[in-house]
Amino acid sequence: MRSPFAYTPRRGPLQEASPGAAVAYLGSLVAVAFLYSNPVVLAAVGVAAALAGWSAGAGSAVRAALRMGLTLALLIVIVNALVVDRGETVLLRLGEWPLLGRVDVTAEALAAGAAIGLRAAVAMVAFAVYSACVDPDRVLRALRPLAGRSALTATLISRLVPVAAADAARLRDAGRLRGPAASPLGRAALARRLLTGSLDRAVDVAATLELRGYGLTRPDAARGGVLGRSDRVTHKKVRSPHRPPCVLAPLGLARARFRFKSRHDRRFYVIGAVVLAAAIAGKALGADGFHEYPTIEVGLSASTIALSALVVLVGLAPRRRRA
Amino acid sequence: MPELDVRIRAAPALEVRSLSYSYPTAAERSRHSPPHGAVDVGCALRDVSLTLAPGEFALLAGRSACGKTTLLRAACGLVPHFHGGEIEGSVLVAGQDAISGGPGEMAAAVGYVAQDPETQVVSTTVAAEIELPLEMRGASAASRARAFEEVALALAIPHLLDRTVDTLSGGELQRVALAAALVTRPQLVLLDEPTSQLDPVAGDELIWLLRRLNEEWGVTILLAEHRLERCLAAADRVIAMDSGAIAFDGPPRDFLAWAQQADIALETPAARLFSLAGLNPLPVGVRDARAQLGRVAARRGAPPGSGVSFSPQPQSRTAAESPGEKPSKRGTPPPGRQDPPAAAIRDLWVELGEADTRRDVLKGVELSIERGERVALMGRNGAGKSTLLRTIAGLVDPARGKTETAGEIALLTQNPSDYLVRERVREELPGDEGLAALRVVGLEHVLEADPRDLSGGERQRLALAIALAGRMEGDELPGLVALDEPTRGMDRSRKADLVELIESLAARGAGVIVATHDVEFSAAFAQRVVLLGDGVVIADGEATEILSGGWYFATEVARILDLPGVITPEQGAGRLDPPEAT
Repeated sequence: MRSPFAYTPRRGPLQEASPGAAVAYLGSLVAVAFLYSNPVVLAAVGVAAALAGWSAGAGSAVRAALRMGLTLALLIVIVNALVVDRGETVLLRLGEWPLLGRVDVTAEALAAGAAIGLRAAVAMVAFAVYSACVDPDRVLRALRPLAGRSALTATLISRLVPVAAADAARLRDAGRLRGPAASPLGRAALARRLLTGSLDRAVDVAATLELRGYGLTRPDAARGGVLGRSDRVTHKKVRSPHRPPCVLAPLGLARARFRFKSRHDRRFYVIGAVVLAAAIAGKALGADGFHEYPTIEVGLSASTIALSALVVLVGLAPRRRRA
Repeated sequence: MPELDVRIRAAPALEVRSLSYSYPTAAERSRHSPPHGAVDVGCALRDVSLTLAPGEFALLAGRSACGKTTLLRAACGLVPHFHGGEIEGSVLVAGQDAISGGPGEMAAAVGYVAQDPETQVVSTTVAAEIELPLEMRGASAASRARAFEEVALALAIPHLLDRTVDTLSGGELQRVALAAALVTRPQLVLLDEPTSQLDPVAGDELIWLLRRLNEEWGVTILLAEHRLERCLAAADRVIAMDSGAIAFDGPPRDFLAWAQQADIALETPAARLFSLAGLNPLPVGVRDARAQLGRVAARRGAPPGSGVSFSPQPQSRTAAESPGEKPSKRGTPPPGRQDPPAAAIRDLWVELGEADTRRDVLKGVELSIERGERVALMGRNGAGKSTLLRTIAGLVDPARGKTETAGEIALLTQNPSDYLVRERVREELPGDEGLAALRVVGLEHVLEADPRDLSGGERQRLALAIALAGRMEGDELPGLVALDEPTRGMDRSRKADLVELIESLAARGAGVIVATHDVEFSAAFAQRVVLLGDGVVIADGEATEILSGGWYFATEVARILDLPGVITPEQGAGRLDPPEAT
């Protein structure tokens, strides 16, 4: 079974954008979520992140993230209500609890927990959209010139995690198929077998990386970017006579250097910058009016409404424009 | 002109001189050995010398654990760089020293495709996987684009480029691994049993694809393979290994003559057919065999186009009565025919996949397997064979329909090592019931052994014993024993051992069903063949009928003779006149 968060190639602006542009766009939403506590703005960011996922065709990732995020949010609300006794509106008096002492559940503590939980859920949805829509190979390619060893580690892990998951599923199946008189599989035996198997797998994957020439990394060559169907090509000659020989010299193209950019990059960079600017301006204009204690106060100023509306609209950015 | 000059005067694609290699300590050797026991760690390389000229297509033959994989790994620099150990001699690939260079340096000159495609991909998407080697070598984006496009077209995989590697079938993954190995246009491509996980259609396609690359691109190919009948006709040369040394090196026809004397397990079914019929020279493939038989028929005065039925079959003579056929194998009803079936499958539908990609993998399958019956379950990759076995064993819930089994079912999945999790055989199978299961598979003498030290065949038997343990009443076997693709990476002698085991299980009353791509193996063990196509049973009948009535799911002998009911060399030889009559 594939994880709903696994990257799935699709035709869409967000998938075709460079990792930097996607991070700028989704990161701006997460930044607003962490800058603001106002539930209206947080809800708007959540709607925007979900809209972005749905617009990009990652509905299953959004649904899974919402399930996980809202469960986490509920947990945060409960814990916050039990451990925080601030607030004037007491809803429940639960008496003395071991370790916690006197527990009074207040509406303010519930609201504060809900704001924190909503923020966590929003971040999870945004990350789920990133995970399902941004090609990890392109991220690693972008990272490789900056941090080769880290990129190598990330490559190994990104490949080994699904392989180990498949190994674990197979081992569990084999465990279920063992005869009743055979020693039961047991968690310790499974873990030991997985560990030794993973070491073998890691050696095999590392060997493959070596055979693919990973040790020959030339950072300057790795900046070309990935080729997408909507990529625009610009061409310029490299004049350096010291360029290392290329195995594709017979093709006669080795001296040409191309840059590939997505036509959607600018859209996401601009939107990310606009959202951040609006968030900062809104903060200055008091759009983040929210106080949990001693009584709940939710600001609903024009700036709050305007920022929320802008953020929701931004969620439609990954929609493909009709020609 | 200078480039042409360089190509014409190119160094040998591979030059191995007096190469001897031994793995490090036994424990380390075990840890470093490739998956599925492809290398017997005790058998390395002994004084190996060979030269492959540019543009040659060489087949590397030999029994399991004779050193084929080690030689391939030495040629791409993985031995000794990844495995350690002691090495003597030299390995030059296109003039570059593989021993001092290591796999990274050799990667531009040599491409390597291993048996298990799972660990040969390192990227998330197919496009990135193919592009990676070019990127690593500093190729510009434009040259990457062109090489990428060309290799995708050559391997007929443009439709896969936008997919993630975890959504590919084994055959597709193998093609992607081959594309990644070829994209840098290496002079030498090494392949280690690339067809072992492929169905006959995909396997044949891959071999002929290699031949085309060899002919049109001039790529030198060194291919290690057990199913020689599949690739002998494509090869220019055969190198046979035995215990780490080269035992034979020459053209395919000479190899067959050598194998006839030196190691009968390396004979192809076509060669065995001719050998039993006393015909010479031995054929290297179906086309060659048919041509030779046609010439023989013409010499006898048979009318043109009359085929190869020189000896019309008497009406009363059945396949079971053919010379060389074991009397117990066919023609006798399996024991327990009157009992309820070992497994009865009624209108079975199974749905698998993600929410948005769910599809019916099995579509209304109806099947009944009797006790004592030996059934081969065949079909192309993704036809639903494994899913059917897993559903019978209760690992998958059907969407509709039901499966009924008379008693327990023991299923051995594709990788026997998944069953081996303890450090002693005794710990895997404690008590009397464990011992009884070990006796069934003939392993009661290895109680104190570490399962990882057993040979590939023994590991498979031990895994089967683990699946059987506690499912037997006394010495009576479970109603159904199911094996999923058990012959991966096996040579013919180990397959013969497996046939014996299957026959002994059936003789003791178990229904045996084996999912396999190997038509020759099916012909050797099965009474009945069930052919699945896209989740539907498209053929179900006697093995002699199913395996002689098609192109891909037909044995080599059936394709040569094209006679109904004739699928094994023994049956075929009985239909050919003795040589003195020719």
